[in-house]
Amino acid sequence: MTPHRLLIVEDSDEDFQAIQWALQRLDRPYPLERCVDGDAALSWIQDGEHWPSLILLDLNLPGTDGREVLTALRADPRTRPLPVVVLSTSASERDVNECYLLGANSYLTKPVNFTQFTEQLRLTLAYWLDAVRLPQAPEHR
Amino acid sequence: MTHEPARVTSLDAPVDLTNCDREPIHIPGAVQPHGALVALRGGHVVQFSENLPQLLGADASALLGAALEHVVGADVAGQLSSALGARELDRNPLFLLSASVRGQGPFDVTAHRLDDLTILEFETVPAQAVHADAYTLVRSALTRMNAAPNLEQFVDIAAHEVQALTGFDRVMIYQFADDGTGTVIAERSAPSMTPYLGLRYPASDIPKQARALYVLNMLRLIGDVNYEPARMLAQPGEAPLDMSYCVLRSVSPIHLEYLRNMGVGASMSISLLRGAELWGLIACHHNSPRTLSPNVRAACELIGQVASVQLSAWQERNDQTYQLHLKDAQTQLMERLSNAPDLMEALVGQNSQLLEFVDATGAAVCLDGEVIRMGRTPSAAQVHGLRDWLGTQSNAEVLHTRALGELYAGADPATASGLLAVQLSKLRGDYVMWFRPEEVQTVTWGGDPNKPAEIASDGSERLSPRRSFEAWQQTVRGRSHAWLPEEVAAARTLRRALLSLVLRRAEELRELNDDLTRSNADLARSNADLDAFAYIASHDLKEPLRGLHNYSVFLLESYAQQLDEDGVAKLTTLVRLTQRMDDLIDSLLLYSRVGRVDLSFRATDLNDLLDDVLDVLSARLEQVGAQVTRGPLPTLDVDRVRVGEVLNNLVSNAVKYTEGAPRIEVGALPPGERGDLTPPPEVPDDAWILYVRDHGIGIREKHFENIFRIFKRLHARDQFGGGTGAGLTIVKKIIERHGGQIWVTSTYGQGSTFYFTLQPGEAGA
Repeated sequence: MTPHRLLIVEDSDEDFQAIQWALQRLDRPYPLERCVDGDAALSWIQDGEHWPSLILLDLNLPGTDGREVLTALRADPRTRPLPVVVLSTSASERDVNECYLLGANSYLTKPVNFTQFTEQLRLTLAYWLDAVRLPQAPEHR
Repeated sequence: MTHEPARVTSLDAPVDLTNCDREPIHIPGAVQPHGALVALRGGHVVQFSENLPQLLGADASALLGAALEHVVGADVAGQLSSALGARELDRNPLFLLSASVRGQGPFDVTAHRLDDLTILEFETVPAQAVHADAYTLVRSALTRMNAAPNLEQFVDIAAHEVQALTGFDRVMIYQFADDGTGTVIAERSAPSMTPYLGLRYPASDIPKQARALYVLNMLRLIGDVNYEPARMLAQPGEAPLDMSYCVLRSVSPIHLEYLRNMGVGASMSISLLRGAELWGLIACHHNSPRTLSPNVRAACELIGQVASVQLSAWQERNDQTYQLHLKDAQTQLMERLSNAPDLMEALVGQNSQLLEFVDATGAAVCLDGEVIRMGRTPSAAQVHGLRDWLGTQSNAEVLHTRALGELYAGADPATASGLLAVQLSKLRGDYVMWFRPEEVQTVTWGGDPNKPAEIASDGSERLSPRRSFEAWQQTVRGRSHAWLPEEVAAARTLRRALLSLVLRRAEELRELNDDLTRSNADLARSNADLDAFAYIASHDLKEPLRGLHNYSVFLLESYAQQLDEDGVAKLTTLVRLTQRMDDLIDSLLLYSRVGRVDLSFRATDLNDLLDDVLDVLSARLEQVGAQVTRGPLPTLDVDRVRVGEVLNNLVSNAVKYTEGAPRIEVGALPPGERGDLTPPPEVPDDAWILYVRDHGIGIREKHFENIFRIFKRLHARDQFGGGTGAGLTIVKKIIERHGGQIWVTSTYGQGSTFYFTLQPGEAGA
């Protein structure tokens, strides 16, 4: 079984550090790849070399934002199966619905309270990494 | 001019005040006996006065059909013929010469022509004869009159000059009004005589046909009011002689009686004309008989003519002055109207010129249901009645009458015999009215109107000239001064101005409305922008906030051991502050979302909704031991989620702001069952009023408004379970978006009740 690897698309260093800190507290020392904007994320995924277990996608990114990244991933048959968990500050129904329509697998709001955030992340990783079966990288790669 | 076929004269038929308007005074069939008259056709006598033979010593029996020399002798006839031949005769009597006839006289002879007749009049030259010619007599008088600076002094000087010229005991100048009444505007008389100055006389004192003669013939003289008329004798078939231009014309016995009643012995009147209209009279009275020679009479006529011209000019100027005054009052009022924000205030406020505008004694303005009166007017109730009556009149746009009582039974003659009304809106009953009282109350009348009727010697009651005042008064009861055409025109102008002003105001109002609609749209847009801004800004705020929070947490987790107690306390505070800021931002977001998000209205059973809300809150309610009582709630068209938030918030507040176990009531007052409650005026009558009542700490009245302001808290941050202070603001916004109202009643220390409606009124629907 391939070891899990995570892609974090997050422009905020503080938020990225918070994720790192939480993973550390949750004792999930997976290899992390971080992209700071949508374009970098898309080229990292689409160059055919990488196949992350889970993508944590921040919605509001400089330049190509989370929605566009999501749209591009779902438009490409090769990346379409990848599970994407959207992380956003927005709790707006409109944003949530829009993301699911675009093909997000989950939508998490980033709370200010760190303990809450850690708990959300714990549940999410337990589900996606422990409970479910994930799609494998295409054979021809 | 047609004549009666028979010789009907004043001597043949009795004349009194009931028929003197029909008396044919131009054909009296007689002359005054201080002179004699002869009428010639083709040089032969066709008519003569019966006193002529005796006065001139002629043979009466041979006079009819005779030539002039048979009347006056060959010598005087020759003089007269050459005098007549030298000049063109017309209707105006011309003084020919003074001459003795057959040793009698001397006589002043005047002549005039009427149709195919030549009329000669012979008058005995008065003992006190003045021989200067007319122009010499009046030259200096005219100079003095022309120097008069105004009408009052002019007529005074004229009266003085006429008295000086004629020697009459009393000289009065009358001015006639449009209705024929005359007022004495100047008087010169002996100090012992009763003054008539300022008195007013009824029109009937001078009959219509007399006025007509006054225009034809500018001067009339009655030498002796007790004279016996000398009858005219004529050839058979000869028509009665038209004496319109005769100096000796016999006057009406009624007029003589009138003069005798006044104690007058002789009289003279000089017409004052304005164009072809009789403007006034110079009336002269003498205590004893008096005649004037033709040259003095001519001088008087000259004064009359000059005075006529001058008075017409004064009158013209007065009319112009009055018109200017009208125009001035109009201009001032119009200016007020265009500047004043309030139409009513402009019309009836101080110095409004509304009365001066048409020279009224009172006015009333009915506008937008309000009635304001100024000056002397009928009572408020009478004005209301008048307004209602005007509403039934088809010609009420501009209605004017001097005898309102004849049109409308509810009129009060003392204040409103005269009405000038303009209609602004028949539908709304908007009018401007001007009033004038009945004329009887405004002038001093000559004579005593209450003097009993004179009883004739045969016991019958008859009208006398003095009694005419009473008759006249009967006819003018309930009548005011007439409204001048200029005044009616001024009222019409005001109406037009007011209408255009009302229209313009309506236009402005419409524009204002359009502006409001526009700015409402602008406001809605900028509100939406603000909401969006709040939404975006809060999100951007959250990121650094999370950073602050997280780092504080990390510091606490990793370095707590290396920090002293104070450092740990400060970091803990930092964490708490970030959480608090997070709450505030969330509240702001929620608030902005209530404004932005479209509500979804559905028929919602609020009983069910309350069940849900209490369910959600059950843990909290149980924890504090809250007791919730509830009344039946209606089913209303609302956004279920938002109204759920309202109930949740209000019930939570009730729990929060109670010390000890909360007792909470939720209920509703159906339309029409308000009990003691006085809702704000905007609350529609058919709305359900819902309420959430607690028995908690209560709110001071001064804070009733404050509690609905965003982030406005009444208590310390951590008292009563904390909170951001946005809850009630959000509640209020939700309720307002439902078209409802929220208000609070509270007794400090005993609890509060929040009332709210969720239905718009008709206006807000």
